[in-house]
Amino acid sequence: MKTRSHIFIGILTAAITVLAPPTWGREIKVLSQFPMSGPVGTLPEFGMGYIDGMNWINSEGGGVNGKKITFFLEDFRYDPTVEVANFNKYCAEHSREEFLMATGYITGGLKPLIEKVNVEEKIPWLDGSYSTEIFGVEGGPSKYPYYYSLGATYGDQIKVLMKWIKENHKVSGKPRVAMVYSPTAWGKDGLPEGLDYANKLGLEVVAQIEYPYTATDATNESMALRKAKAQYVIYHGYSGATSHTAIFFKTAKKVLKDVQLMGTHYTTGRFPILVCQESYDGYVGVATRPFVDAVPRSQTPMTNPMVKMAHEFAKKYRPNDYAEEGKIKDMFLYMEGLTYALILQEALTRADKAGNLTREGIKKALDEMVWDFKGLFDGKKFDYRFHTVPMVQVFKAQVKMQKVGGKEVPTGAVKPITDWLNVNEIKW
Amino acid sequence: MDILQVVFSGLLVGMVYALLGLGVVLVFKASEAFNFAVGEFLVVGAFLFFILFFDLRFPLLIALPAGLLAAGCFGALVEKLTIQPLLGRNPISMTIITLGLASLLRASVQLVFGAHSYPFVIDLPDITLELGDMLFLSEQLWASILSGLAFGLVILFLFKTRWGVAIRATSESQAKAMAYGINARVILLVVWALSGICIAIAGIMISNFGSLTYLTAMVGFRAIPVVLVGGMDSIGGALVGGLIVGLCEAFVGAYLEPMGLIGFKNIAPYILLLIVLLVRPYGLFGTIRIERV
Amino acid sequence: MLLRVENLRVVYHDVISVLHGVSLGVDEGELLVIIGANGAGKTTLLRTICGMIDFYDGKVVEGDVKLEGHSIRSLHTTEILKKHRLTFVMEDRPVFWYLTVEENLLAAAHARWDNQVAQDMEEVYGYFPVLKRLREKRAGLASGGEQQMLAIGMSLMTKPRVLLLDEPSLGLAPLVTEELFQIIGRLNREKEVTVVLVEQNANAALGIGDRGYVMETGRVVLEGKASELLENEDVREFYLGSGEKERKSYRDARRYKRRKRWL
Repeated sequence: MKTRSHIFIGILTAAITVLAPPTWGREIKVLSQFPMSGPVGTLPEFGMGYIDGMNWINSEGGGVNGKKITFFLEDFRYDPTVEVANFNKYCAEHSREEFLMATGYITGGLKPLIEKVNVEEKIPWLDGSYSTEIFGVEGGPSKYPYYYSLGATYGDQIKVLMKWIKENHKVSGKPRVAMVYSPTAWGKDGLPEGLDYANKLGLEVVAQIEYPYTATDATNESMALRKAKAQYVIYHGYSGATSHTAIFFKTAKKVLKDVQLMGTHYTTGRFPILVCQESYDGYVGVATRPFVDAVPRSQTPMTNPMVKMAHEFAKKYRPNDYAEEGKIKDMFLYMEGLTYALILQEALTRADKAGNLTREGIKKALDEMVWDFKGLFDGKKFDYRFHTVPMVQVFKAQVKMQKVGGKEVPTGAVKPITDWLNVNEIKW
Repeated sequence: MDILQVVFSGLLVGMVYALLGLGVVLVFKASEAFNFAVGEFLVVGAFLFFILFFDLRFPLLIALPAGLLAAGCFGALVEKLTIQPLLGRNPISMTIITLGLASLLRASVQLVFGAHSYPFVIDLPDITLELGDMLFLSEQLWASILSGLAFGLVILFLFKTRWGVAIRATSESQAKAMAYGINARVILLVVWALSGICIAIAGIMISNFGSLTYLTAMVGFRAIPVVLVGGMDSIGGALVGGLIVGLCEAFVGAYLEPMGLIGFKNIAPYILLLIVLLVRPYGLFGTIRIERV
Repeated sequence: MLLRVENLRVVYHDVISVLHGVSLGVDEGELLVIIGANGAGKTTLLRTICGMIDFYDGKVVEGDVKLEGHSIRSLHTTEILKKHRLTFVMEDRPVFWYLTVEENLLAAAHARWDNQVAQDMEEVYGYFPVLKRLREKRAGLASGGEQQMLAIGMSLMTKPRVLLLDEPSLGLAPLVTEELFQIIGRLNREKEVTVVLVEQNANAALGIGDRGYVMETGRVVLEGKASELLENEDVREFYLGSGEKERKSYRDARRYKRRKRWL
């Protein structure tokens, strides 16, 4: 009998040891997904910035109050299905107690995950999507409590552009504005809000043109804009790194003389300077990040602390990629990966300090967060109550062709022409 | 006025498509294979020029001929490695080889050049033409002029030189040509080289409209309606087919797409193609076989 | 001997054996006639000699072809044509239908291009005056006889020393055939071209030939002077259809097949 009870106790002990959750050695796990390959282009910069950021956090950056972050990085190839499948996989493989935060990058992946993230898993999800539908007035924290955007919505971006037009319109008569947008959910996002606001400001919207991704030619679109006598053209819903953007700018610049070309976040930056060259000169665009990566890179002003940090990291950890002809074509993307790592650290640290390092605790920390994002917005702080980082700045592109080694090459940068604006504080 | 603008911009782009079609027709006539890798030929050709002109910074007058020569060598190399071993066999096998080749080349281009856009601005003299309300861009005029020139030179070569005669003879029958001592292997190399050059010119011109990425290969699909509308084995057909497809795109883009049919431009040529094939199965200018009773 | 075929065995697609050890010889300047029924391997023999057998997925498994003592078995058609000036005129009027008559002649001259092309073309027009009239016309639209004349004219443009002709009379009217064969005879005599003429029309062919071979199912079964062959009873019976004996049975018809022939 005695032997039997010993065996029984032995089995019980073993079972408890194996099955019970080991509360002491709990890991902190986060998942990030970026579109690093696929139809939008090869954008390994995301991953580089993210990995460098996370490694720095775990070694010198203090971790989560000393604890290390176990981070997972996936390339979802710009495919929402892959993004969703990856997330489901990690949810199944890791416990709720350890898998604390996730990040994504496109609206297409957010939509099918609404139920899963906000109702089933209740996991704080940071996203690169600026979708007005999800983060605007119609959506927001009340509807999607666990979704957080890392920028201002497209609706707000377009409104800021409209406001800029109103304030900077020099010639007489109502400003004549035209929209060119992609036939995608992205291109149509924010459009109604922007147009309503334009009417409110007394701007005249003279044309709305859908311009497809597959274009080899933008003459028709440009001629239509010319016939409509547009003075301001807002180009929205495209990547600045693609062929159709180059086609549009090259054509529009010639057909539409004296017209102010404008655009939203993704057509502002360094890539269009390289691809569109001279035709990009004078472009005015709104962006949610400091887009100051100049061509050549050595001329980038290092006044912004986050920009400085990103450039220093890249120079230190990836000197070959950082060089002018290296893999990092646009430091914005590298900085983007880095900022994701930093905001994950910040949210986790705040929740841990509050003694509640759980998904709920992190949500609470994010909702109450007032932060300067390590100087990303030149020292300005933002609050996360509407689940968007409400900061935008208006930039103007200055591109000059210069002879280097017998060839004309573009030089220049997009330079800020306003301060950082908090869209939550603007009186619309 | 408006309609003239649409017609002429259609014709300008159409000329480039015609040259693209010519590249396919030449190969089809000689090897009886449809080159499905036309889009990849286009990208490779454009990148070869890109390297010479933008990376190595040769002047245009050297870079363009050298780039085209390289594109020609590339075409010949492809023929030598993939098509020649199948000489005298079923052309379907060759067509399928070109399908595989397309995948291989697409992946290789991505591997070497990545997937992002390369800036592509050739500093040709600005000849933008403005007539009243009409406006024709310098890039498109140049594209049309150079494509037309290339098309004309190819035709001269085919019909006025002894090599051209030998190419046309071999295109009709490799066996007969061989029997009369025409080296079909050499001729096929020349044809593929010529085709590579035509496609490369089209690729360079199309890249000059915007920028160059591996996705520029999508333009290659436009060769399908071009050659099928015009007739797979007709050089004149490639010209007419190219212009028709260009016009079709311009009209759909100008008049139908604003009605909300965005992207219809891309499928309109195929619809046209279906109609043409229903009426004339060999295409508009497909060779009417010489039938003897 | 100018051209020697030694014990040639040829197989198509690795399995179909067509020639089972053919040997024959052609003297310089002679007009040799090879007759035989369909499927005897005559065309295969010519394809092998001129080096085109690879193109038809055939293979020489044994034997050799020698021209002036040099083996040409492993050479390409174009090399054989260029170096040894041996030209093969395929059966069924091998002209390029979509080229004009003149372009056809130019195409045939492609391999040997020199400054005598125009002169040679005039010579061809001299032999075939009808071609001169048709020079701007597409060859596909010419009549069968005109096409065959063009084909032979094209072969002349290659400046041949040896000419292999594969059934030039196929599908032609008797009168046209006669005219054609007269010209072939003239070419042989006047231009000293050695001709190997493969024919089903044995009567006409042997009429202009010097010597002849008879082939059956991949073997040479009979050889001799053209005049002798014309007199041969077997030949008369089976190829000329004018034997004096009445055919008794199929076994008899194939009688000479079993005669051994060593060479």
